[in-house]
Amino acid sequence: MKWNSIRTKVLAALLGCLILGLSGILALMHYSFERNSFALASDSVAGAQKLFTILETREISKMTAASEVLIANPQIRDAFAAKDRTHLLELTAPLYPKLKAEGITNWMFHTSEPEMVVFLRLHNSPKFGDVLNRHIDKEVVRTHAIVTGNELAKAGFAVRILRPFNDSHGNVTGYVEFGEELGQFIHTMRDQTGNEYGLLLNKKYVDRQFWADSSKVWKRRDNWDDNPNFVVADQTTDSANIFRFAGDLSILPNQGNVLERFQSGDSVFVRGIFPVHNAEGKTVGAMFVVRDISSFYLSMRRTQRTLVILSVASLVLGTILILMLLNRLVFRRLERIIVVATRVVGGDYRSEIPVSSTDEVGQFECLFEQFRQVFVDVVSQASSVQEPEMQEK
Amino acid sequence: MSQLHDMKLRIEAKIQADGLDAVAVKGKIGLRTGKLLAFIKPDTPDTPEQVVKLKAAAKEILNLSL
Repeated sequence: MKWNSIRTKVLAALLGCLILGLSGILALMHYSFERNSFALASDSVAGAQKLFTILETREISKMTAASEVLIANPQIRDAFAAKDRTHLLELTAPLYPKLKAEGITNWMFHTSEPEMVVFLRLHNSPKFGDVLNRHIDKEVVRTHAIVTGNELAKAGFAVRILRPFNDSHGNVTGYVEFGEELGQFIHTMRDQTGNEYGLLLNKKYVDRQFWADSSKVWKRRDNWDDNPNFVVADQTTDSANIFRFAGDLSILPNQGNVLERFQSGDSVFVRGIFPVHNAEGKTVGAMFVVRDISSFYLSMRRTQRTLVILSVASLVLGTILILMLLNRLVFRRLERIIVVATRVVGGDYRSEIPVSSTDEVGQFECLFEQFRQVFVDVVSQASSVQEPEMQEK
Repeated sequence: MSQLHDMKLRIEAKIQADGLDAVAVKGKIGLRTGKLLAFIKPDTPDTPEQVVKLKAAAKEILNLSL
C-alpha cells in the first residue's frame, strides 16, 4: 500500500470518520445516560418527598379524627377533667392496641399549663409526670389550637398532633397528643415505589445515652458510631453501605439533593436525599432515597452495543462502496492512461486512450488522447527515427 | 559508439533475455529519463546527466547495473 496514494488517503479519512463517529456515539450515549440517571434520581427525590408529605398529611388527618372522637367521649372527658389517671387508663387502654395497629404509636395526655407534665402515656403507662418542654408544647399553650408537625424526641422522630382537651364547659383541662414514628413511613413508601429509603437523624438533636437505651428496648443494634454526623433511625434495606453521606444534614436544600450514581454487585443505583424538618422548621433529619436503575442501565448498554455494531457495519460497508466506486470511476481509468502513456513512450504509437465518459476523468482522457496524437505526429516527422522503431514491432 | 547507445543495447538485451514486454519497459525507462530510447543512436552525443539518469532507470526498473 502506497501511503501517498489517493486510495490510502480516502481510506484513512473514512477510518477517521469511523473513529470520530463511534466516539461521538459513545460520548452521546454516555451523556444521555448521565442525564437520564440524574433525571431518574431527581424524579425519585421529588417523588419521595411528595409521597412523604402525602403520608404525613394523611396520618395527621387520621390522628386528628381520632382525637375528635376521643374528645367527644364524655367518660374520657370527665375522667381526664377529674385527673383520675386510673380510670382514664381503664377507659383508653383497650383503644390503644387498635390505634397502634393503625400506626399510632404514641398517645399521651398532658396536664394544662403552667406545669404541663405528662399525665398519662398510653404507650408506656408506668412513666408519667415528666415535663417535655418541646416546641409543640409551647405552641399549643400559646395558641390553644391544634398543633401538628414532626418532633424529634430523645430516641426517635415522629409526626405528632397536640390539641387542647376541653371539659363539658369548654374549659381547657389539658392536652392530648398522638404520634406516629416516621420510620414506619419509609416501609409504606418502599411498598409503593419499589425504592429503598433510610431515615437519618442529625446527631445534634439526639441524646446519645437515650439512643443506646432505646436500642436495647427496641432490640436493635446501636448504630450510633456508624456515621459521624447522623444516625440511621430506620431503613428499608439491610445494606448499610448504600446510605453513605458525608455532608451536613442541616444545610440540605429544601428540594433535596441528587447524590452520585454507584454500582453494587451487578446492580446500578442512584441516590438522593431530602431534608425532614421538625415542627419548628429546623432540619433535624433527612430521608435517603436509593433507586435501582439496573434495568435502565442494561437497556442503555444494549442500545449502545447495537448502535456501535450498526455504526461499524454501516461505515465499513460505506467504505467498501466508496472505494469500489473510486476504483471504477477514477483509479482504473487513470491506470489505463498511465499504461497507454508508457507504451506510447516505449514506441507503441498505435495505443489509444479510449474516452469512456464525459465526466472529469473522461475530459482528462480526451485531452490526453489529443496530446498522444500530437506526440505521435511529432515523432512521425522524425522519420529517420520512426522507421527502424516501427519495424521492431 | 556513444556510451548512451551502448547502454541502450544492454537494456534491450536484458529485456529480450528476461522475456519482458519491450514496449512497456522501454516506455517506463523513457518516462524516467525524459528521453525516448528510440532516439538514442550510435552517434548520439553523451551528456553526463543523461548517462546518470539512464543508469538509475535501468537499475530501478530492470535491476540492471550499467
